[in-house]
Amino acid sequence: MTMLTTARFCGAAALALTLATGTASAAWEPTKPVEIVVAAGAGGASDQMARMMQSAIQKNNLMKQPVVVSLKGGASGAEALMYMKGSDGDANRVLIAYSLIYMLPLSAKVPFNWRDLTPVAVIAFDEFVLWVNASTPYKTVKEFADAAKAATPPFKMGGTGSKREDHVLTVLLEKKTGAKFAYLPYTSGGEAATQLVGNHTASNVNNPSENLEVWRAGQVRPLCVFSKERISYKGKVAGDTAWGDIPTCKDQGVDVQYQMLRAMFLPGKVTAEQTAFYEDLFKKVTQTAEYKEYMEKQALKPAFMTGKDMVKFLEEDDTLNKGLMTDAGFVAQ
Amino acid sequence: MEAFGLLLQGFGVLLTWKILALMMVGLILGIFVGVLPGLGGPNGVAILLPLTFTMDPTSAIVMLSCIYWGALFGGAITSILFNIPGEAWSVATTFDGYPMAQKGQAAEALTAAFTSSFIGSLFAVLLITFLAPSVATFALRFGPPEFFAVYLLTFCSFVGLGREDKHKTIISLTLGLLLAGIGMDTVSGQLRMTFGSTELLRGVNFLVAVIGLFGISEILLTMEEKLALRGHTASISLRTVWKVWREMPRYWATLLRSSIIGSWLGVTPGGAIAASFMGYNLAKRFSRDPKSFGTGRIEGVFAPETAAHASGTAALLPMLALGIPGSGTAAILLGGLMVWGLNPGPLMFVEHKDFVWGLIASMYLGNVVGLVIVLTTVPLFAAVLRVPFSAIAPMILVSCAIGAFAIQNAMFDIWLMLLFGIVGYVFKKIGIPLAPFTLALVLGNRAESSFRLSMIGAGGDLTVFWSNPLVGTITTLAFTLLFWPVISALFDRGKRLLLPAKSERSGPA
Amino acid sequence: MPRDSGALLLCAMAESEAEIVVEDPDAPAADSPAVTSIRTVDMVVSVLLVGFAALMAFDNWRTGMSWAFDGPQAGYFPFYLSVVLAGAAIYGLVTSYRSKSEAGTAFVTRDQLRRVLQVFVPTLLFILGTQWLGIYVASFLLVAGFMRYVGRIAWWKCVLTSFLFTAAMFVTFDVAFDVIMPKGPLEAAFGR
Repeated sequence: MTMLTTARFCGAAALALTLATGTASAAWEPTKPVEIVVAAGAGGASDQMARMMQSAIQKNNLMKQPVVVSLKGGASGAEALMYMKGSDGDANRVLIAYSLIYMLPLSAKVPFNWRDLTPVAVIAFDEFVLWVNASTPYKTVKEFADAAKAATPPFKMGGTGSKREDHVLTVLLEKKTGAKFAYLPYTSGGEAATQLVGNHTASNVNNPSENLEVWRAGQVRPLCVFSKERISYKGKVAGDTAWGDIPTCKDQGVDVQYQMLRAMFLPGKVTAEQTAFYEDLFKKVTQTAEYKEYMEKQALKPAFMTGKDMVKFLEEDDTLNKGLMTDAGFVAQ
Repeated sequence: MEAFGLLLQGFGVLLTWKILALMMVGLILGIFVGVLPGLGGPNGVAILLPLTFTMDPTSAIVMLSCIYWGALFGGAITSILFNIPGEAWSVATTFDGYPMAQKGQAAEALTAAFTSSFIGSLFAVLLITFLAPSVATFALRFGPPEFFAVYLLTFCSFVGLGREDKHKTIISLTLGLLLAGIGMDTVSGQLRMTFGSTELLRGVNFLVAVIGLFGISEILLTMEEKLALRGHTASISLRTVWKVWREMPRYWATLLRSSIIGSWLGVTPGGAIAASFMGYNLAKRFSRDPKSFGTGRIEGVFAPETAAHASGTAALLPMLALGIPGSGTAAILLGGLMVWGLNPGPLMFVEHKDFVWGLIASMYLGNVVGLVIVLTTVPLFAAVLRVPFSAIAPMILVSCAIGAFAIQNAMFDIWLMLLFGIVGYVFKKIGIPLAPFTLALVLGNRAESSFRLSMIGAGGDLTVFWSNPLVGTITTLAFTLLFWPVISALFDRGKRLLLPAKSERSGPA
Repeated sequence: MPRDSGALLLCAMAESEAEIVVEDPDAPAADSPAVTSIRTVDMVVSVLLVGFAALMAFDNWRTGMSWAFDGPQAGYFPFYLSVVLAGAAIYGLVTSYRSKSEAGTAFVTRDQLRRVLQVFVPTLLFILGTQWLGIYVASFLLVAGFMRYVGRIAWWKCVLTSFLFTAAMFVTFDVAFDVIMPKGPLEAAFGR
């Protein structure tokens, strides 16, 4: 009943990418350094992506003004949201957003609504994978779930943040398998990864990029990907395994699906020319070698979506996330 | 031996004019950000990060790490000459460094600070060189209970070993922990103590607090003094350097102890701040003449500086080996590595051998070059003493405001800085120590969340803190330090029972 | 903690060899009457701390301060920290009330207060100015004004020093390193 089907939107996005090639040159241009606002700490997925865009823009001379990355990860990212909300009309700030824009206002009663901002472009989708320590015997989700069901005290599941995407996935997994987990909210995906390697948790639901290094070192094992279909990358990553070799959880009999958007937003009350400038800028970014290389290395799903398509997607994605949060009991009273 | 060969290769990568020039630039920029109150290591490195994007990864990381070494060196200058710690980890250096400058021994104090920084870093770099692979596996044993035990140890050492009134230390510590808790509670995802304010959402940043507590309050306190006093110009002559270096071997125990404490706290994320205080407190504890600390003892400069720098350097080890930054600056460097597509982790030592060993070699070279630079350029920085205070004071105020703002781009933080300036001024005058406060502010959240994660993992069972020898030892040590005054009193009584004649005369303790 | 507050030079200075001897004609007089005693301030701070602790305790009680089956709730630690803080502050209130030495020591004398306000008031104005004029203009005004009115240094020196300092800050942060700082109408006029 609860599943996110963002895949078809990605298809639409790829189409949009091929159609919208010759865009009209925007009349407006930034007059000050452009600030990419990151709603997470240093070194996290959003920060890395912001820095990739910074170097892609600077190396390919896509814009005259320099790009500054502004880390506003305070209060689990709420700081960045409130900062953007308070920047009405300032077109020199862009937020690199993810599912927190739907979840944080529900779980922590942060007075924020993504509709207050101006959506610019969806630029990628992030996958989630179920990982266990390589020294454990579990090869399939079923073996793992059966062991988790029998375990007392319950297995520990590591993740990033409380009442957020990782936590929601854990609850979904509990509902589908009947197992119970003790969810440990760490402050970053990197920490969740090392804690899994150190056997302090039994499993985690990290993004591919967060567990990439420990996977290649042979310290963790992926069980399945929480997606409708397998990841498309076929290049060997860890030993002779590729991202595409990880089965989907659905194929393994546990129908849990979730993908997370990575999208750019301007503050509210900006002009149409300003929005058009950034739509054009980010389209160019998605065509750079830096972007393509980054997508493959982090096993992200490339996407590009703007305008009405994006708003329609956001509305549906919002409804789905709200449903998940409500079912998990994470909505603050 | 394998490490040695790889290190030589690393030096080979570095010995080009371009890299050496970048090193110098990085070190000078680093000393500059280290000297400016509030700008500091993490900020300086973060601000300078984009400068390196056009470089190749090796040049970039060498320059960045040199900024880091420079900041570590520079923090000592203002601590000693101005009593204003440029960095939170230089706070302990002011205890004896500033009295030394007042006594006219500024050059000796600076030489001692720089040299011991060098020794501390060198110790930690040697440690990194030879222990990298094995420490990586050891650090993996740190789960939430172990992390909590380390934080507990740091807090307890303050209450137990501090010299101030116990209730004032407790006020300082609890107030810091409370303020640290403001904002998002990461374990439950709830907001707390924000009273609906969006400014309080992001919590109280410890750097902002430090700038106010030490920078602003110090200017207020300075103004109310009669300023007619003697200062010492601090140009360091070869003779001074020689004199200090000749004296140094006498303090080998302090240097070694501080190096070990620093490296330990750097590898386990306790941080340079905690290390500098622990180094200082323990040197005082083990000294034959603890009362003379705080009056300008050279040992009181050696101890915290060695520990802070050993820790600052050792913090890079978990970052490289595991991707866990041991300090704020290490976290920024970590972000820098990722920009060049280098994912820190165990595999980096295998896949990017050249890079890793180039970086380690740059730690040796950077420290040697850094020592030479600071020893020769101190007269430039000491020239600040000749400028009238009425010109210096507003410039420091502006630097503080810029620093406070740049941390989170928030105007509110400048107001917060002023508020902490007043708090610092009042607290210093009524004898509430500020060090426990800043430490609590920086470690509070991590301590609480590691405690609560331990509890979730163990189903609320407190014995988890004694569940294995590692965590058990640290926890027990923490409680020993907490009750140290009681324990040492018991020891004294025990001694007295053995020597009854003597104790009769000394009367009740 | 720094036990001794900093003594830096204020006005004229005469130099002999490696030592700097500093004169301070405006120094607070030693016999200046005390505005208040350490004891009074200590007690006021204790009362404020108890009040702050009560406020925090209330908010954390509202958040939830009990020990759930899997460990403490969000408000548990802050609540008990507030209790400990209040306890230590009340203990401090009693000891300072009884303390004779604290009662006899001046917290600040009238002369000292005047000098502290000489820094504090300009700082306050500077921060207010930053909000409207931007940090660079406010910084120019603070440095020049402070040197002129507190240091009584010649006009041209004040303006020149202040301009050079502010320009150096601007070049470092805004031009060279793209650090975003609060800016006002002047920067906007130049399109920065």
